[in-house]
Amino acid sequence: MTTPMVQIRNLSRIYRQGDIDVTALDRITLDIHEGEFVALMGPSGSGKSTLLHIIAGIDRPTSGQCVVRAVDVATLSETELAGWRNSHVGFVFQTFNLIPVLTARENVELPLLLTGLNAAERRAHAEAALALVGLADRMHHLPRQLSGGQEQRVAIARALVTDPTLIVADEPTGNLDAHAARDVLDLLAALNRDAGKTIIMVTHDPKAAAHARRIVHLEKGELDEAPLATPS
Amino acid sequence: MTITGFIIRNVLRNKRRLVLTVMSVALSLFLYTVLQTALRELTQPASTEESALRLVVRHRVSLANVLPVKYQARIENLPGVDVCSQFTWFGGIYQEEKNFFPQFACEGDKIARLFKEATFDPKEMADFIEDRAGCIVGVKTMERFGLKVGQKITLQGVIWDCDPEMTIRGVYRGGIDETNLFFHHDYFDELMGNPGVVGTFWIKATSAAAIPGLIERIDRTFRNTDAETKTETERAFQLGFVSMFGNIKMLIGSICTVIVFTMMLVTASTMSMAIRERMRELAILKALGFDGLRVVGLIVAESFGLAVAGGLVGCFGAWFLFRHIDIYKVTQGFFLKFDVTPHILAGGMLIAAVLGAVSCAIPARTTLRMTIIEGLKELD
Repeated sequence: MTTPMVQIRNLSRIYRQGDIDVTALDRITLDIHEGEFVALMGPSGSGKSTLLHIIAGIDRPTSGQCVVRAVDVATLSETELAGWRNSHVGFVFQTFNLIPVLTARENVELPLLLTGLNAAERRAHAEAALALVGLADRMHHLPRQLSGGQEQRVAIARALVTDPTLIVADEPTGNLDAHAARDVLDLLAALNRDAGKTIIMVTHDPKAAAHARRIVHLEKGELDEAPLATPS
Repeated sequence: MTITGFIIRNVLRNKRRLVLTVMSVALSLFLYTVLQTALRELTQPASTEESALRLVVRHRVSLANVLPVKYQARIENLPGVDVCSQFTWFGGIYQEEKNFFPQFACEGDKIARLFKEATFDPKEMADFIEDRAGCIVGVKTMERFGLKVGQKITLQGVIWDCDPEMTIRGVYRGGIDETNLFFHHDYFDELMGNPGVVGTFWIKATSAAAIPGLIERIDRTFRNTDAETKTETERAFQLGFVSMFGNIKMLIGSICTVIVFTMMLVTASTMSMAIRERMRELAILKALGFDGLRVVGLIVAESFGLAVAGGLVGCFGAWFLFRHIDIYKVTQGFFLKFDVTPHILAGGMLIAAVLGAVSCAIPARTTLRMTIIEGLKELD
């Protein structure tokens, strides 16, 4: 049996709101293997986004461990964590979060500014990533000149461009119509199936979750793993 | 795309705000440059090797008090004196009150020796010396009023009860002031009924080394008389005029401080607004792997760039403007020149740089403290 890519052990996250402690995650233990496409599901406030943020290194657990490829993310300093995110995590957000003053290609190039690649290499990588998501002909467009579905595909290209260990997607279809949502989910499924990318996706939409190979339910900060889903 | 390109795109994202911010900094630093230049022109009068040899002897009490003309012989006999001329400020009106220019009654034959840095035409000088009611005028005043050699000119006395009518016999050029009118003290005395008094004596010392001793000797000579003297260098004498305006240095310094402080508040507010609108984007940058210092670097570069751009427009705009306008005409003779020096430009640019750094301090601190989760919540 191979070592899981993500090992979560007794992980808790407690937020302090005034005088009250709110438990977002309560002693979660979870393994995610390389090449998996996992959907984290649950109602609002169940802790699914918090779990995703901790796995992606943009939040820290109150206790417990989150080890990604043998690195305990919680032990890294802020600067180390920033570098780690750049090399190991690709983000896809619900609201796309592209920089409005940059073209599609420049948005995709953005994470590459922190790598040792020269300008020509950065450009080539960005163009390849855009071609992979089917937007080679839109690379000089600004985000406002793209549809929602296209913007999300640019965001996926940006998440892919550094060839990260993990792609994390937080409600990636939340702002899209049904057709665009299906395209985005098909693209994520293809990246998982054909390119072997490990994807962790937060969603509350069962149709979206059905594209994943495994569904993990969270309820009030606790894990309730569902049986393996079959992609539609 | 490069980091620099990314910063430039961010700076240009709201062009109206960019223009208004740069212009507010530019205008403030333009004012700063103008005020500092004015202060310099007022408090550091031009000086030449020749002017450094000149001394002014006046009544110890004030310039309004006159000295007996008989002092001249005693001064001329003191060691270290090369030339000594009677020199009385006339301060009359030419046609209208606003047509101000300096007028002096002096000894015509000593003018060329006293003001060696000025150029006089020998024939015109000879004509001037020959004509008791003649005068010689600086080229700037000649041009300002369209005067010609040979033309009659009448000054209306204000301080002195006489209206000298004179013929312009010559023009002088060069020296530190090309606006003066010199006429004969003899003629002035005649119009005034030979009162036997003089406003000041202007002296040229034989050497710079002789000056300290000479000042002391002159004032000692007339100590305990009815009209004690105060002898000072030409430069000190001119600064004495400036001090009559009050503490001009403090006044201008206060105005500059207010300008810079106001500008700092405006720029800091603009930068804060610009950054607050982009907290979400900054959180995204952090999520993509930009660490806190890199994100702060982007903000500092943006703020610094805006302030320095404003500084360049304001300071160098002032420099360019005053190189291409005739300040003497514009200020109707108040300023002879208005040199924006490298020192003043450097001061303005330094203020711009500090302004850039200070105005982004609060947004930078906020950004540094902001977690990615907090930043992402801004958008949802």
